Amino acid sequence: MIFSKYLFFILSFIAIYAALKVLISKKPMHSVLYLTLTFFAIGGHYILLNAQFLAVVHIIVYAGAIMVLFIYTVMLLNLNIQGEFPKSRLAKFASAIAGGILLFTLIAVFRSYDLKVLADPSLNQIGLVKNLGKILFQDYYLPFELSSILFLAAMVGAVMLGKKDIY
Amino acid sequence: MKAIIALSILAVLNMFFGVRKMKKVLLPLIFIGLIITMILNISDWGKSVHYFNEMFIADNFSIAFSSVLILIGILIFMFANIYYKGVERPLEDIYALILFAIIGGIVMASFGNLILFFVGLETLSISFYVLAGSKKFDIASNEAAMKYFLTGSFATGFLLFGIALVYGVSGSFNLEAINTYILGCNGNVPMIFIAGMLLIFIGMSFKIAAVPFHFWSPDVYTGSPTLITAFMTTAGKVASIAAFYRLITIAFISLHSELTTTLTVIAVLTIIVGNLSAVYQDNLKRMFAYSGVAQSGYLLMALIVLGPKSAGILLFFVLSYVIATITAFAVLMLIREERGTFFIPAFRGLAKNNPVEAFAMAIAMMSLAGIPPLAGFMAKYNLFVLTAEGGYTWLVVVAVIGSMISIYFYFKPILASYFSEGEPQHKIESSVNFKINILVLSILMILLGFLPQVIINLL
Amino acid sequence: MDGTYILYKFILASAILLISLLVAMYSTLLERKVAAFFQDRLGPNRAGIFGIFQPLADGLKLFFKEEFMPGDADKFLYILGPSLTMMIALLTSAVIPWGNSLVIGGAEYSLQVADVNVGVLYVFAILSIGVYGIMIGGWASNNKYALIGAVRAASQMISYELAMSMTIIAIVMMSGSLSLKDMVEQQHGMNWNVWYQPLGFLIFLVCAFAECNRSPFDLPECETELIGGYHTEYSSMKLGFYLFAEYINMFISSAMIATLFFGGYNFPFMDDLHLSHNVITIIGSLVFFVKIAFFVFFFMWVRWTLPRFRYDQLMRLGWKSLLPLAIVNMIITGLVIMIKHHL
Repeated sequence: MIFSKYLFFILSFIAIYAALKVLISKKPMHSVLYLTLTFFAIGGHYILLNAQFLAVVHIIVYAGAIMVLFIYTVMLLNLNIQGEFPKSRLAKFASAIAGGILLFTLIAVFRSYDLKVLADPSLNQIGLVKNLGKILFQDYYLPFELSSILFLAAMVGAVMLGKKDIY
Repeated sequence: MKAIIALSILAVLNMFFGVRKMKKVLLPLIFIGLIITMILNISDWGKSVHYFNEMFIADNFSIAFSSVLILIGILIFMFANIYYKGVERPLEDIYALILFAIIGGIVMASFGNLILFFVGLETLSISFYVLAGSKKFDIASNEAAMKYFLTGSFATGFLLFGIALVYGVSGSFNLEAINTYILGCNGNVPMIFIAGMLLIFIGMSFKIAAVPFHFWSPDVYTGSPTLITAFMTTAGKVASIAAFYRLITIAFISLHSELTTTLTVIAVLTIIVGNLSAVYQDNLKRMFAYSGVAQSGYLLMALIVLGPKSAGILLFFVLSYVIATITAFAVLMLIREERGTFFIPAFRGLAKNNPVEAFAMAIAMMSLAGIPPLAGFMAKYNLFVLTAEGGYTWLVVVAVIGSMISIYFYFKPILASYFSEGEPQHKIESSVNFKINILVLSILMILLGFLPQVIINLL
Repeated sequence: MDGTYILYKFILASAILLISLLVAMYSTLLERKVAAFFQDRLGPNRAGIFGIFQPLADGLKLFFKEEFMPGDADKFLYILGPSLTMMIALLTSAVIPWGNSLVIGGAEYSLQVADVNVGVLYVFAILSIGVYGIMIGGWASNNKYALIGAVRAASQMISYELAMSMTIIAIVMMSGSLSLKDMVEQQHGMNWNVWYQPLGFLIFLVCAFAECNRSPFDLPECETELIGGYHTEYSSMKLGFYLFAEYINMFISSAMIATLFFGGYNFPFMDDLHLSHNVITIIGSLVFFVKIAFFVFFFMWVRWTLPRFRYDQLMRLGWKSLLPLAIVNMIITGLVIMIKHHL
């Protein structure tokens, strides 16, 4: 479908533009909102791959829960001070070079590999609820269950840090 | 697998009793639980059970390293009541987080799938981030938690990106399947796979604090509460090196010859930078952080030359490191409690008034430095022999020079406690229990030095 | 994808949009009438007979009010806030099955804009991003009352979303599908979910009140404490958008309650009437709107009967009562399904 090809480019453009704006924006609030926009664009990519469940869950979890808490924090801390972090010129220079090399390597690496092209991504069935559920509860049952321990640890940690005792 | 289930139940029970304010029950409960876990863990020995679709592999290697992790838990809880002496609260959350971290570590020692590896790593790391900041009104502890969290999640990002690339090319998260894929390439592995693998290595190097990804470790280890530092240096290193070893020996074994250059450079840098930086430290905790970096370098050496015995030697090295470090930290905790400082002068005249503590500290430091006939010496000796046999003589030379440098800083507290001049400081009161504990650990270090083959031949 | 199909979807979408707006418009009148009834007054009766032109008059008034923007406001976000609220409020109507299908000239036309196979989750996604408009608007106003209102709205909506999703999970477990169409089909006749999930229905209802920021949970715009809450600094049609979005939300929430628990467009004895398919569909849609109207009325009934909660009470209710209850409800549902499966 030619239509979804254009959609892909539009969504990719939005995602990359918004991701760049996250870094460039001076106000933290704008950065957070651009990040939300990035998540929406990526959710759109999931839909193009016919992974509707993943797309919706992506929106619910990232845009609906995590980013709302993020905005919440930014609002409460009132991080609207237009200050630059003091960075030495050397540090900026070094990080630019290091990041540039990483980018360069990754681009080269991706170019060297001929990526397989899916015949028609919209016929992809893996992202539908039924298939995903089966994979999750058969093949990946153990990581799925163990992530509950991970979340429990995170929750216990959050509660512990929130208490007012010294230890 | 049984160990994970037992530990999860233990952690939840512990929190339950903690909420009921039954402070007296907690530590005995945890000890009994950990011992049961240890028995359950060892009960799978030699069976090599594969759980859940090759997700979790309980082979001898993973059981041995899981046992070391559980042992770390037992030792840490042994000294927990000393560190948290005046605290009224049951502290169930801190204990639970330590148990969760051990679960994460066990998963990291036994994964057969990159997804499970990531879950285990995150369980370990998140527990560590919080534990590092568990002394909430101490600004150094806050700094430690913040730095650890920011840099750690950045490293996790690299690791995850690496896993994604490896998966994207090979089409599987399973370690064996990845190896099959590499073999199927006939030496023509795509660069994208190599890039992914290197990104995974960057993440792992961060977790074991190898140079140049070690910058977080001094601040984090200095700022964290001392008991937690002892736990993080030992458990974090053991779990990460076990995971690293599994990754290299199962998934990337066919590419090992091409990896050795990278690993050697990292190992050499780690040994040199770690030891040299430790020389300049007066704060013992900070010195331990840097010496921990150096020890990671030695651990990495075991990954460079893979022989039939390298797993056993790695296990022995890790075991001796764990026992010595925890003993040293136990004494350090006691001294900090009384003298209020981690600096060398606090040790002045320790031998006169507290001979047991001074002796244990001396044994621990000598073991870490590698003085014969202690456990640390035998560990280093076997490791160096293995490396030399693999043809890396110059690496051994670097490592020996590093060890010689390390003698200088490891002996500082020993010299202060035995040979310092001037007024000896007052006696430190410590319980009989504590004395017995550290004595047993010291004897263990001496015994292990005489019987290294018992451990090495296990694997 | 032929021309008829696009035309039909276009007409359907526009019709649903218009109906939503119309219903929301007349909800404002209804609200005032209901309030008047509860307070033993007459209510608006000057604009047209029974005041039926009152919503138009209100709209005109809002249009002609002065546009005002606080000096220190973040201009872009200040305008984005109400627009986003309005847009998100209208998005949900796409997946609600407004009626069964109509058969015209042999072709079947469904009265649902998009039968997404994750319909319920889509609704939740929209619900969860619904808070953005309020938060952005409250923050961009650069006013502390607005900020507190926005913060309250955010934490309230996040808290109640959890209990709400838990009740939905119980329903999804029963129906075995995430598509709203399938769920409605399964409640054929009088086989409504509310008979099986009475507790779930109650929890959902309470949560729907909180999600719509309606009284007794209207703390984000609590006049006595916060002047006007998140829309303190808004005037003219931007304020109108916020107020209007609230009525649309109420309408959509009622539609969701009717769909999930009261059989959607199903009505009792629909098979015994022996009418043609199209007639049944039209009657079904009308019945659906009657159900919605009842719940809209219920929203207003509660508003003019119950006093406002205190903020800590609200949070305690959400986290300590509704969430555990919803989890219990989910577990019981799961157990019953398991036992039935094994019998």
